[in-house]
Amino acid sequence: MSRTRRLLRQTMTIARRDFVATVFTPIFLLFLFAPLIMVAFSTIGAMGAAQAADHGADHVRIVAIVPNAVAGAFVEADKRARIVFRRDEEPPALAILSPSGEPAAQARKTFESGDYDATAVLYGPLDRPTILYGPRGTRAADYLAVLASSALSAERLGGELPRVEATKVPFSRQRATLGGQNQTAFLAVFGVFFLTLFLAGQVVGTMAEERSNKVIEVLAAAVPLEAVFLGKLLGMFGVAVLFIGFWGTVLGQVTSVLPPAFSGMVGELSPAVGLPMFTLLFVTYFTMAYLLLGSVFLTIGAQASTMREIQMLSLPITIVQVGMFTLTLSGLSKPDSWLAVIAEVFPLSSPFAMAGMAAASDSLWPHAVALAWQALWVAIFVTMGARLFRRGVLQSGSVRPFWRRKGA
Amino acid sequence: MDNQWAVSASGLAKRFGDRRVVDGVDIAVPTGAVYGVLGPNGAGKTTTLRMLLGIIEPDEGHRTLLGHAHPRDASDLVGYLPEERGLYPAMKARDAIIFMGALRGLDRATGRARAGELLDQAGLGHAADTKIRKLSKGMAQLVQLLGSVVHRPKLLVLDEPFSGLDPVNQERLEALILGERDRGATILFSTHVMAHAERLCDRLAIIAGGQRRFEGTVDEARGTLRSRVRYRPRDPERASPDLLPADAVREGEDWRFVLPDEGIEPVLGRLLAAGAGIMNLSIERPSLHEAFVRIVGEPVEEKAA
Repeated sequence: MSRTRRLLRQTMTIARRDFVATVFTPIFLLFLFAPLIMVAFSTIGAMGAAQAADHGADHVRIVAIVPNAVAGAFVEADKRARIVFRRDEEPPALAILSPSGEPAAQARKTFESGDYDATAVLYGPLDRPTILYGPRGTRAADYLAVLASSALSAERLGGELPRVEATKVPFSRQRATLGGQNQTAFLAVFGVFFLTLFLAGQVVGTMAEERSNKVIEVLAAAVPLEAVFLGKLLGMFGVAVLFIGFWGTVLGQVTSVLPPAFSGMVGELSPAVGLPMFTLLFVTYFTMAYLLLGSVFLTIGAQASTMREIQMLSLPITIVQVGMFTLTLSGLSKPDSWLAVIAEVFPLSSPFAMAGMAAASDSLWPHAVALAWQALWVAIFVTMGARLFRRGVLQSGSVRPFWRRKGA
Repeated sequence: MDNQWAVSASGLAKRFGDRRVVDGVDIAVPTGAVYGVLGPNGAGKTTTLRMLLGIIEPDEGHRTLLGHAHPRDASDLVGYLPEERGLYPAMKARDAIIFMGALRGLDRATGRARAGELLDQAGLGHAADTKIRKLSKGMAQLVQLLGSVVHRPKLLVLDEPFSGLDPVNQERLEALILGERDRGATILFSTHVMAHAERLCDRLAIIAGGQRRFEGTVDEARGTLRSRVRYRPRDPERASPDLLPADAVREGEDWRFVLPDEGIEPVLGRLLAAGAGIMNLSIERPSLHEAFVRIVGEPVEEKAA
């Protein structure tokens, strides 16, 4: 068996053990369902808040104090204007009052009504109406002004505005919009950051188990430390993939739980390289980000001799990840700047930056170069981690690389 | 590949900080032999074994393992029981053996089958599906030992294998070692318990202070000390000290002295001629324990700068 095949076999043996040891434990279920717990609490909170908001919204009104002669035109104008709003973005319901007494006093009195909560009240002639509005009522006031304009137009055109029968034809643009690309780039960077933030940090403590129960001696005697490090990294990556796969499937099936704004955002994704290629690159860059950050964290964590030291590492690890995210966003906001180039070239930020580039640029060759570059750095980090561990923990000198060994 | 030696090393040296824990050790383990590395605590036995296996790299010297200049290249052919035993506590005994076999290239199906057989043979069949954390220390140690032989290695390296085992399990371990030897494996083990070495070893090396002090068979080791004579005269009045060797010491009615180079006959001739007679006479070969104590107790040979 060649050295490479044997190394691969040894790596997968370690990876399999770590994957099984992590997944087949009760704690893993807690880890797997942690988002559900978070979502459950968020949903309960959101439902309570929405219920309270809805309850309040039911009583909110915009009020027009207009003569009966134009009341119909006002109602008609409200019907026309309201259709352009989404249901949850509609202005408050319209209430029409007939003028009685001094209009300004009547309008002020309307705010004191016990039947509803007026947010804006219009009174006076339609070409020069006065609109009183309460806190957060400026948009409602604008809306009342638009209704007044429509009602006045209808009145001057003999009681009815001309009807326009528009033919709506859906159209898919061939080229992604610039706004959509920027939005997609941000989402790509944020997505890779979000996933690695939650998942890559787990790698830091994986060598602690072997150190505490002395298994490291058995492993070090049987397989190269490089295989141990890479195997552990892949094992934990398998756990991350299982986690993402599980929740990806759940979210894919239960799309109705997604807020409408999110659904709209997903619909507007328009990566420059096209959605299928973008999906592939996103998955690949997440993998590379996980392996790059994970290999660094594994290296650092392997040097820690106690759980206390490992716990102390969680803050610097988070800071590193946030730092890479910030660097990438800075580069993203100024494409072609030196900051963008640094983010694309620096190994730990490269996957983030390149995921963003996949959304903003349709060139594919930079991705081939970047993936090769990132894979090289994974190999470097794993090798460095193994050597540091061998020197620091096993108190050994470094093994000569195979190309510098004499033949047997 | 040189089949004569399963393991060979020359001039192995290792320094931890300012301390030279192994200082130019030479070792050659014949293929098929049971070879012991003896030495007091802190002599450098474990470090030597770890260097031979490639777990750590020597600062100086060369070694070959099963003909490979780099021990890693032979790792699938080697079984190893480290001094500090270690298994995953949450693993079941059978899975631990399968995993250790898989590390050395044994496929899982074969590993599973052999693990069952080995556990049954070791009297641990009932514990096959028991997690390691629930086994006694001795049982866990046996499981680890079985894991180190499940892939039927050509070379089995055991570091202090008897420590922590009760006498019954020590006997089981001795039987297992001899069984592996009979299968054709070479056994290299370290110990500081002379009885095991005396019973098992074809050859041995004694290491002290990081240096090899002796290499040879058990008989040769014992031969480094001269036999001792215990003599009780029939007539103590006539057994004058002048008739006995100069180092003779009286212990009650007995005299004890080192067997002279010329043999016991001249001494006995003088005693018989003087009428001291012989009530009791025994010539005792020194034990390995005595040889070990003497070899280890010798001052360290100064190396030329």
